[in-house]
Amino acid sequence: MRAWIRRFLKPEALTGYALISPALFLMLVLLAYPFCLAVAISLSDRVLGEPGRFIGIWNFIGLLQDPYFRQTVQNSFIYTTSTVSLKLLLGLALGVLLNQEFRGRHVVRGLILLPWIVPTSLSVLTWLWMFDSLFSVFNYLLLGMGVISKKIPWLGDPFWAMVSVIIVNTWRGLPFFAVSILAGLMTIPRELYEAAEIDGAWALPKFWHVSLPLLQPIIAVVVLFSTIWTFADFQIVYILTHGGPINATQIFSTMAYDVALVAGRIGEGAAISLFLFPILLVVIILLLGYLRRE
Amino acid sequence: MQKKKKHSKQKGISRRKFLGMAAGTTAALSFGTYIRSGLGAPRLSVLSWANTLHAMDDVLREQAKEYTKAKGIDVSWEFISHQDLPAKVAAAVESGAGPDIINLWTDMPHLHAKALINVGDVCADLAKNLKGWAPVGKDICNVGGTWRAVPWGIIPIAITYRTDWLKEVGYDRFPDTYDEMLVLAKKLKDKGHPVGFALGRALGDANQSHYPMFWAFGGKECEKDGKTVAIKSPETAKAVDYRRKLFQAGETSDILSWDDSSNNRAFLAEAISVTGNAASIYWAAKKNAPHLRPVTNHALWPQGPAGRFGYSSAISLGIFKFCKAQKEAKELVKWLMQPKQYSAWMGEGEGMIAGLLNYYEDDPVWQKDPKLEVIRMIPKYVRMPGYPGPPSRQSSEAMVKYVVVNMFARAVKGMSTEETIKIAEDELKRIYAKT
Repeated sequence: MRAWIRRFLKPEALTGYALISPALFLMLVLLAYPFCLAVAISLSDRVLGEPGRFIGIWNFIGLLQDPYFRQTVQNSFIYTTSTVSLKLLLGLALGVLLNQEFRGRHVVRGLILLPWIVPTSLSVLTWLWMFDSLFSVFNYLLLGMGVISKKIPWLGDPFWAMVSVIIVNTWRGLPFFAVSILAGLMTIPRELYEAAEIDGAWALPKFWHVSLPLLQPIIAVVVLFSTIWTFADFQIVYILTHGGPINATQIFSTMAYDVALVAGRIGEGAAISLFLFPILLVVIILLLGYLRRE
Repeated sequence: MQKKKKHSKQKGISRRKFLGMAAGTTAALSFGTYIRSGLGAPRLSVLSWANTLHAMDDVLREQAKEYTKAKGIDVSWEFISHQDLPAKVAAAVESGAGPDIINLWTDMPHLHAKALINVGDVCADLAKNLKGWAPVGKDICNVGGTWRAVPWGIIPIAITYRTDWLKEVGYDRFPDTYDEMLVLAKKLKDKGHPVGFALGRALGDANQSHYPMFWAFGGKECEKDGKTVAIKSPETAKAVDYRRKLFQAGETSDILSWDDSSNNRAFLAEAISVTGNAASIYWAAKKNAPHLRPVTNHALWPQGPAGRFGYSSAISLGIFKFCKAQKEAKELVKWLMQPKQYSAWMGEGEGMIAGLLNYYEDDPVWQKDPKLEVIRMIPKYVRMPGYPGPPSRQSSEAMVKYVVVNMFARAVKGMSTEETIKIAEDELKRIYAKT
């Protein structure tokens, strides 16, 4: 015990604690405290401006019985799984493409990041115009080219509204995938490819047996982050469809906003936003464990 | 030349001297403000929505300055998008800090009653001098017998229609009943001019178009007690059937994707002939489509078997309990509601706002343009979601979740009347079971 204390008080140990303390303090104040507060609120029947009572997990049970919420869960899963897989597939393709030698690739690599850099709310407003029921440029082009015979109700039909928000989320998140994968590809030593070439491998086997296995840790991290961000996404859905039509694109964050801030039931709203936390926690632990083993 | 330069240098202020003086003056000035704010008259901060008609906000800015000059009370007025207001109000209520006077929307005086001071004296005083309040004023601001906010006005929603296209199919004026409107809509669509009432996630337009229709056929989401869900009824079924027929016979299919601004755009792009909206279309036509102004007119919402109804967003002014200068805040609100100030503000809007004090029914603004005449009658018919029950947390949750709007939307999309009402009933029962 005494030895422990002595070690703790060693000058360099003290310096270490002193150095991490600002970061720790910020984490506690800006992350831990709001999170614990949210958990506490989600366990109460609190409405705006009133203290509320502790009701245990009744908010969560009530939500599970609510078809409106069950639809929200379903929508969130469809939204997240389809956008993350699309982003991963397209991101791999784009990463490989950008890794090729071609004239002006530095400029292209920079430009690829644009959707990621432009503030989401602004770019989504532009998308809103492109999906507009009257002035949609997509409908104009598709009709003009004879691909469709009548205009697509982009945001007016439950199916197409989901397609629209998926398209926009994919567009927005793709640069993050592409650039991370590109960075990964650039670290793979040339010799490995040369060895594969000597064994007679052409492009696809080279990608499959050399690039992909070595990219795995990066893909794991990128998918993990993207999954968390997409589950928590708010702006794209809020601006494009506001969860409609007929709740077809209602996801966790938009429902939580409506219930907590507009209808004033912050207990229930906190429960909605925390609903996924246990599932995501398990995913994170598994993925991080996997990464450590790698 | 050189001599002159030298001369000016000697007489002028050196840089160091200038900086010193500037610092001194700033200090003195800010000390003065400090003294005034700390020891002298109190300051008041107001937070309200940024009006789509910026000129109306300019009037308020000027009035705030005028008040500051006349009473020596520093009034700072901030404007934010009305969509951001709920979050701002929520933050103020939770943290116990924020603006002194707050612009509340529709049911917010009920939702935040505990955070607002009693303004019964202001309301009584205004009612005494300005011919009393329209009933909806009491509905929105009087919570369980106590006035929690002062009704500031409604944003009257009327039928906006194209007179030239109506003439084409033989109508001189807009029909007065829903059944006649159905016949008209069919004729208009056959001519390529469909009607359009937002049925998407347009918190304003969709709810404002569909609650009146729902009520006019005798439908109601709950009984007068504000607790018993009563949506399942033959009357509701009639409203749903009517809505489906209107869509099939005379409406553009775009309505399901519309947000609050879509119908304005569609009307100004001459894609629809009739819609439900604030006077903002008429107003915007002045700038963006002047040729449409002479052929645009307004009408009251049609009547149904149960009468004529309307639902318009209502705005009110509340004072937070944490306000340090409550007496002064009340005085300011009362001053803003006086004819001189209020008429100037409402007049700038040309139908954007209708006052809820009966005195303002005869305001000169309504004589300014015969096309705005019907708008002054709207406050009489306006009810709030939850009607015939009082506005409540439950009724506002039902509105935010688009329970009534989605009931109609599912029917339009092909679901049977019985099934869509059942879904709405289940949703309402779940919402009204909460405390």
